[in-house]
Amino acid sequence: MIKRQNTLKLLMVWLCLLFGQAVYSQSDYTGKKRVTGTYAITNATIITSPGKTINNGTVIIKDGLFESISSNAQVPVDAQIIPGDSLIIYPGFIDALGEQGVSAPDEVKKPEGMDPSNPPNDVAGITPELEVLQYWEIGDNGVEDWRKNGFSISQVAPKGLMLPGKTALVVFGDEKSSNYLSTASGLYAQFKTARGVYPGTTLGLMAKWRELYKNAELKQQHSKMFASQGNGLARPQNDLSLEAFYPVINQEIPVIFKTKDELEIRRALKLQNELGFKLVLAGIEDGSSLADDIKAAGASVILSLDLPDPKASQAELEDATEEAKKAQQRVVEAYNNALMQAANFEKAGIPFAFSTLDAKSGEFMKHLRLMVENGLSEEAALAALTVNAAEILGISQFTGSIAEGNLANLVITTDKLTDEMVKIKYVFADGYLFEYEGGKSNVDMSKAKELVGNWNYESETPGGTSKGTVKYEVSSGELQGEIVVDDPDGGGQITRKLKDINYDGKELSFNFSVMAQGNKLIVHAKGIVMDNKFEGTLSIKDMGKYSLKATKVPEFKL
Amino acid sequence: MMKFNYILLCVLLLVANGLAAQTPKGSVLIKNATVLTVTQGTLEGTDVLVQDGLIKKIGQGLSAPRNVESIDATGKFLMPGIIDAHSHLALDVVNEATAPITAQVSMADVVNPYDVGIYRALAGGTTIAHGLHGSANAIGGQSITMKYRYGSHDPEDIIMKEAPRTIKFALGENPTRVHGRGKNLQPRTRMGVEAVIRNGFAEAIQYKKQWEAYNASKDKKNNTITPPVYNLKLETLADILDGEIIIHCHSYRADEIYMLINVCRDFGVDKLVFTHVNEGFKVAPELAKYTMGASVFSDWWAYKFEVYYSTAYNAAILMENDVITSINSDSDELIRHLYHEAAKTQRYGGLTDEQALSLITINPAKQLGIDKFVGSIEEGKQADLVIFDNHPLSVYAIPQMTFVDGVKYFDINEDEDDQRLKVSPTQMVEPVYLQAEDERCMHGVELFTGETANFTHTH
Repeated sequence: MIKRQNTLKLLMVWLCLLFGQAVYSQSDYTGKKRVTGTYAITNATIITSPGKTINNGTVIIKDGLFESISSNAQVPVDAQIIPGDSLIIYPGFIDALGEQGVSAPDEVKKPEGMDPSNPPNDVAGITPELEVLQYWEIGDNGVEDWRKNGFSISQVAPKGLMLPGKTALVVFGDEKSSNYLSTASGLYAQFKTARGVYPGTTLGLMAKWRELYKNAELKQQHSKMFASQGNGLARPQNDLSLEAFYPVINQEIPVIFKTKDELEIRRALKLQNELGFKLVLAGIEDGSSLADDIKAAGASVILSLDLPDPKASQAELEDATEEAKKAQQRVVEAYNNALMQAANFEKAGIPFAFSTLDAKSGEFMKHLRLMVENGLSEEAALAALTVNAAEILGISQFTGSIAEGNLANLVITTDKLTDEMVKIKYVFADGYLFEYEGGKSNVDMSKAKELVGNWNYESETPGGTSKGTVKYEVSSGELQGEIVVDDPDGGGQITRKLKDINYDGKELSFNFSVMAQGNKLIVHAKGIVMDNKFEGTLSIKDMGKYSLKATKVPEFKL
Repeated sequence: MMKFNYILLCVLLLVANGLAAQTPKGSVLIKNATVLTVTQGTLEGTDVLVQDGLIKKIGQGLSAPRNVESIDATGKFLMPGIIDAHSHLALDVVNEATAPITAQVSMADVVNPYDVGIYRALAGGTTIAHGLHGSANAIGGQSITMKYRYGSHDPEDIIMKEAPRTIKFALGENPTRVHGRGKNLQPRTRMGVEAVIRNGFAEAIQYKKQWEAYNASKDKKNNTITPPVYNLKLETLADILDGEIIIHCHSYRADEIYMLINVCRDFGVDKLVFTHVNEGFKVAPELAKYTMGASVFSDWWAYKFEVYYSTAYNAAILMENDVITSINSDSDELIRHLYHEAAKTQRYGGLTDEQALSLITINPAKQLGIDKFVGSIEEGKQADLVIFDNHPLSVYAIPQMTFVDGVKYFDINEDEDDQRLKVSPTQMVEPVYLQAEDERCMHGVELFTGETANFTHTH
């Protein structure tokens, strides 16, 4: 009897343990779920909005929102504490027009025997009904590339031609969340046409715009007539493209026109003037001389974060003719003007935001610094990335600044944003923490010795098997290395220095660059090291991934 | 009430002022020139006073009002600004070659005021040019008459607002090659070209009726007529039928010229100008009777099959048969010396000075519907003027100064090397810059014809 009772007890304990285990593993079977949604960043310099600073302050985040911002806050018991000493907290950056995580829709097949002068809308690049979220993936590299630059919200644009579809507002939060703030924030338009069908040029594009808009107005009128009157009226035919214009015609959402230069801006303004829609001019690279016209039209301004390649303006022309030197002077002037564009918009009193379209994430900080060095105030730069963007996107009631109740989006940096040494250490997006090591070396030096020496590698590429060597050494306390690779332009092998080496005793990754036909290619290597063997991949952006295997050459000691 | 009216008047005046002040207007006194008025003979030792962009007075011993610059033109020749009735300069796009009829497109949308070619044209005395759609389509886009006010960054500033609407038509090999041979669509033959145009006009009549029916009943009680589909192409064709738009038709052969005359007569269209018109001399009486004239080349031909039967006497024959005749450039290069082109008619056809000059001044102005504003030196007309060192029909003539609306846009003594308005920050500077210019009438249609521009001359 006693024995049985004991058995029973034991069984119960077992069951409890099993049950407990089950509950635990169900809540976090991946082991990735965060311990708490409450964070306290203590004793930091907080820029709550451009020009407003709290020194030695604490920001408390709870369940996706800012709970409090103050200099003497009580840290909640369940908070994960991030010591913010010597760090600066900025509001999370907002990309007023980007395409992080957006993939292109499948190419549309032209119907058999199609009349190119009257193609179906989708063949002509006219799909205003398309919603970008159907093509958006937060797990995409693009999202991470911009999040680690401090961005936490983006208005993402669909890919396509003259009318690719509707933009949406997304937050760069946790992969498991839904992460969108608005599914249709604007109608995206570009000066881009399909090849070989009408409209095939800017000429046709302008005419087609007028016709689509006017017909959408008429169709809406027809639908209203039918709804109110009905009897005796022809039933309106459905047309998704035209119906997609209704919210624009009804002034509910703006047209977001990608306009790079002055002539494109003028053409968009011309359409706006004729048709009367709300207009956002986006991706502007050259437009500050139109400040008055833009103001008069009441259009919003989103500047490109891309800046011209300085190659032409820095070209060596020592041996050139006087005439060429004079011409070069004008290129330099034009280049400097491009750098001053943001400052000129600031001077003209036009609030603006930034777009990451066509910009490289790796150049973001550099470009921002260049604009500030060329006259843009630091406050205006920050405003463009935060409050102004929120204002233009109509979301300033819950984001754009560090304020109680706002979405917990912020950037934590080591220095001032425009400091050359600035590194981003943490980003909060939608209350989720993303940690970045701020450029510090990610090498476990105790394990680094295992790598030191020469390695022979083989890589399978479409061009055949490529062989070479990698050499690692520890010098001035750092792991360094170089790789010998086939010269892509032919003519033997070249040696390249390894950059961004990461090694934790198991995972190894590094980058190096090669020049191929005048273009710089960044090659990214990543893999696992085990028993003096490396297995992994080489990848080149937009080109592909290739296998990479390496073996350490045994050292012979005499 | 009086007060209110007064305020209203002030506001109206302000608005009017604002509109008038949109493009610069100059004042200048040009003294003691040989004035080639074109319409009122040659006046030796004559002064021309320009005030606020208009020719105020032509006479002798005029004195300049205060603050008005006076230019001594002793020994020099003053003529009206040269007008080019056929150009593709300063346009970002020339052909929307995707459809046989593209009447809905408008060259005004693609004017590029930065084109340095404008300055070069001014340096050749050209002050007005008609920017045409290309010749890929039977009915091309609406063209734009530009006044070359170089220096403004605003395309609207170089558009001549007073000019009536114009549109490009094209017959013969170009539209049949692009659409017929290139895409296996109508038109594949000259018959097809005619059918395309006739069908277009007929459709436009139907379209107009539809809208008239809708507009007549839309505000009535219990109206059951719903809005028709808006069609900018048919809208434009209907405007042609209503006489609001002047047709400028690319053409070479006499048969096709006569064909379009008949089509237009059938549809009651009389605002019609033919351009190129190499076989125009064969149908000169018909051109004189039924059209607003012919705009020709001085001596270009044989660059494709339909242009073999041609003569340098074309302009003279047409003129002697009372056809309003002009000589055009269709080229960013020829536009710089149209006065040479006009002079060729004196060698081939023996035209008088006045006749030859009318080919590049008052006659193209008539063809563009702007002859009451420009095209000759007359009091009250707009002050588009050129000063030459020699008679402009002399082979030694070099333009010295060019004025548009009394504003000097070119002066040979202040002619800086680099006249570009805008420079790209990423443009690599070449120490030597040589470029062959391709004529642009068929610009942008290679996609459809499958031929490279190297093998086909493309007017």
